[in-house]
Amino acid sequence: MKREHGTIQSYITGFALSVVFTLIPYFLVVTQAVKGIVLFGTILAFALAQALIQVLFFLHLGRERKPKWQSGFLLATAGGIFVVTVGTFWIMYHLHENMMPTQAELKLAQDEGIAQVDGQKTGACVGASQMHMVVIKNGVASPSHTDAKRCDTIMFMNEDNTSRDIAFGPHSNHQEYGGVDDVPLSGGQSQTLTLNQSGTQSFHDHLHPEMTGDFTASP
Amino acid sequence: MAEALATLEREKPAAKKTASKVAVTEHNDHEEAANDRTTFGFWVYLMTDLLMFSILFACYAVLHGNTLGAASGRELFSQPVALTETLLLLTSSFTAGIGMFRARQGNKNQALAWFGATFLLGLAFLGLEINEFTKFVHDGHTLRSNGFLSSFFVLVGTHGAHITSGLLWMGTTLAFVARRGLTPGLVRKLSLLSLFWHFLDIVWIFIFTIVYLQAQV
Repeated sequence: MKREHGTIQSYITGFALSVVFTLIPYFLVVTQAVKGIVLFGTILAFALAQALIQVLFFLHLGRERKPKWQSGFLLATAGGIFVVTVGTFWIMYHLHENMMPTQAELKLAQDEGIAQVDGQKTGACVGASQMHMVVIKNGVASPSHTDAKRCDTIMFMNEDNTSRDIAFGPHSNHQEYGGVDDVPLSGGQSQTLTLNQSGTQSFHDHLHPEMTGDFTASP
Repeated sequence: MAEALATLEREKPAAKKTASKVAVTEHNDHEEAANDRTTFGFWVYLMTDLLMFSILFACYAVLHGNTLGAASGRELFSQPVALTETLLLLTSSFTAGIGMFRARQGNKNQALAWFGATFLLGLAFLGLEINEFTKFVHDGHTLRSNGFLSSFFVLVGTHGAHITSGLLWMGTTLAFVARRGLTPGLVRKLSLLSLFWHFLDIVWIFIFTIVYLQAQV
């Protein structure tokens, strides 16, 4: 049993090391000697090292007699903590990435038809609607002008091999159309846009701005 | 049935007496085994408590950016105060260790002095934390303001609640030690208490790093 308890010396060593391992990350953060992810990784490493120091010098773990139930239980808990913290962070990070406000708005605007334009709700598009096609081939959109009714849809078909990004308004000054910022199209892909906002709207390919066109949605 | 029970009751103390007479030398081993069991039971509690803290840490890691446009940790937290709290708690963990060492030696006055210092340092830590919390609430940064503050108050507040209960436990145990001396039962209580106190210091290292230092990254 005796060897499980610390000596004065072990407490002093543990205390001195802990103070050093507290001050180094503190001054790294205050002086901003390193930045960003490197800084965070460094201070986290110092925290883990200090926790290990205190487990060894203050809790005197590893000196118990066999079977080492305490060390075993600590390791099992560490495994549980790893799964809980890393798992939570991993899942929530991806959930966060995939539910960015802009993407949530785009989903509302297109699937639910309830985008806001200038603070006014555009209203849901329900019932019969017509689908128009705009085919982009050899860098030209045809037809270059589409006449449609509000709540009709336009399917943009990219028949070229290059990626396109349909943006609204002139290239120099992008606009938003019915809650949608842009319609990305990889080579050979097609995407459907619901015309949930009345009026005439020009568009262009942000990646190849010479490709332009427009459409009019009458109320 | 009742008679049999009554006989058992009568025989028990007698059996105990003879056993203690016969096995005086084994007595220490038995007590040590009992101590080991108690320590392990307490250890299991500490580890499950650690698991709970890890969940609160995970919540904070996910929510700390959700400030609803209000002040973030970078503007709210004072680094010197956080460092002072850390050093207070670290020193109190050290004094608790020395106090435990003296208690095992049977040195009552030294044990009381070192644990008394631990108590005062813990009280100073708690005072700083309460001061910080009241300042936040006074400035309108409350538990209900946003996800960041909810997870902050719950994580740091849970640790503070542990410190508070540790201080109550320490105060009563020290009062008993002062009155009755270092009995084996009280030494065992002190050893669990020092385990608890070291454990809270280790949890605080991560609060200091992940909550306070991380705010400036």
